[in-house]
Amino acid sequence: MSRVSIAAEPVDIAALRRALERPDCGGFCVFEGWVRETNEGRQVSGLDYEAYTELALNEGERIIDEAVRRFGIADARCMHRVGRLAVGDTAVWIGVVAPHRDAAFRACRYIIDAIKQRLPIWKKEHYLVGESAWVACSHGPANEHAHAPHANVPTTFIPDYSRQTRLVEIGAAGQARLAASRVLVIGAGGLGCPVLSYLAGAGVGTLGIVDSDVLEASNLHRQTLYAAAEVGQPKVELAARRLAALNPVVRVETFAERLTADTITAIFDRYDLVVECTDDIDSKYLSSDAAVLTGTPILFASVYQYEGQLHAYVPQGHSPCLRCLWPVPPAAGALATCEQAGVLGPVPGTLGAMQAVEAIRMILDLPGRLDESLLLVNLLDHGMRKIGAQRCAPCLEAGRCVHVRDLSAWPTAGGALELAFPTLQLALDGGYTIVDIRDADEILAHPLSIPALPIQSVLNAVETPDEKRYLLLCARGRRSRQLALQLRRQGLARVHSFRGGVAALPPCDE
Amino acid sequence: MTSITVEYYAQLREQAGHSREQLSTDAASLGALYAELRQRHGFRLETGQLKVAVNAQFRDWLQPLAEGDVVVFIPPVAGG
Repeated sequence: MSRVSIAAEPVDIAALRRALERPDCGGFCVFEGWVRETNEGRQVSGLDYEAYTELALNEGERIIDEAVRRFGIADARCMHRVGRLAVGDTAVWIGVVAPHRDAAFRACRYIIDAIKQRLPIWKKEHYLVGESAWVACSHGPANEHAHAPHANVPTTFIPDYSRQTRLVEIGAAGQARLAASRVLVIGAGGLGCPVLSYLAGAGVGTLGIVDSDVLEASNLHRQTLYAAAEVGQPKVELAARRLAALNPVVRVETFAERLTADTITAIFDRYDLVVECTDDIDSKYLSSDAAVLTGTPILFASVYQYEGQLHAYVPQGHSPCLRCLWPVPPAAGALATCEQAGVLGPVPGTLGAMQAVEAIRMILDLPGRLDESLLLVNLLDHGMRKIGAQRCAPCLEAGRCVHVRDLSAWPTAGGALELAFPTLQLALDGGYTIVDIRDADEILAHPLSIPALPIQSVLNAVETPDEKRYLLLCARGRRSRQLALQLRRQGLARVHSFRGGVAALPPCDE
Repeated sequence: MTSITVEYYAQLREQAGHSREQLSTDAASLGALYAELRQRHGFRLETGQLKVAVNAQFRDWLQPLAEGDVVVFIPPVAGG
């Protein structure tokens, strides 16, 4: 049964609740949203909801998948009404079941926030006095999960996308898809500026921006979102403010950090498309690996002096990842950066604008995609060359990526994933908190010589971060490695696996 | 001798001093051609760090050359 419904008529709430009853769950959390009698101080007599149903259903399922993965809940249901509703009617219903209440509360909150922001649902409020207008539900005031560059911008602005919806390939349906899409732009520099401007202008619903740099005066000849007076300020904040001014209805999420192996997949999971705009080859390879692992389409561009390259990886089909094209990442310093080699300002501007075109093409599934080719652009001689490029032969033969199995080869913010210690006492002395993740009968058969915490303690730390450095221990080091990797993906940086597990300990430790 | 056109991108273009040249060569394969050009232009990148395309399709370094081929050497670039 599908977990999301868009209902034109009132729904039997008791039936939704019954569908969630499970003997293994002790926590049930429900949220109901009702039609209120006022909006922004004006009397409301009722409202109409409209949805782009197919997209709303798919997106809703995805939100529930995310909640299951993030919070470990057992199940959830979501119902959103469409059509004419009166004051007091139930407009939205969310139910979540989990073994314990904490996860149920958190997941319920996550789902309603995500639904408000991401589902392509519009409402038209009927005021007792005055005109009515359709607004996207996501256009309401930002909540505390959103980075809130919008806070000071009046929400009454109604964007006019008529110049692009007039294009037959876009139209109203295409515009709704853009509004429902979530795009992550890594790097708010020479490439990222035009990408962000055009995607915000086009009405992409959610734009994530990743950049850890502050603005420098030498950026200004090519990074067109910024001003001289802003030198020294974090680019991610400046870009978010500029985009909010450009199109206040776009939701902007900011990441003022370099992506690392322990955070990148969790971040990619939240977006439909990644646009890679950094000038850092290591970052491009990490993003390529993460795109393969998370099944996220990614669009790469890079520039050199007067030239650029453009290429896309899409999980479906045969487009190549970065390792299919260049299997060995060039050593750090082997490739010149803009700083070393120089770059003409409009060159990243041109390639970034082309990335924006490709991004819109990918979101809307327009014809002529760049998949399975590498586009070379030379602005010295106006040459453009499209070279057919497929996944490499080993990947095609295997039917999957042979280059990347996980991100364990990448350094993480928390240091090495696996650690080896001659004895457990040395690990304790080193400040590690040991977590024994073995089953109760395994622990009984081979008890440890030192105190260790149960698995639940480290799972709790994902929800409520603390300062401990966790060292996970299992029988042979395989389960602990797997769990440590999984926890890092959920955002817990300081977690490690004890290499070799209990089998690697000297007899006195057992 | 085989007459071909070679195009260079990024740092190879910079090191060669031009984007495009026509030349005749006895090189038996793309790999041998690159070795010849590397000597002439002082390219620093190894074949393992490059992609090579012939007539707009990627090829491997063992492929022989044919009259009129357009050969393109492509290094990864990182600027943004």
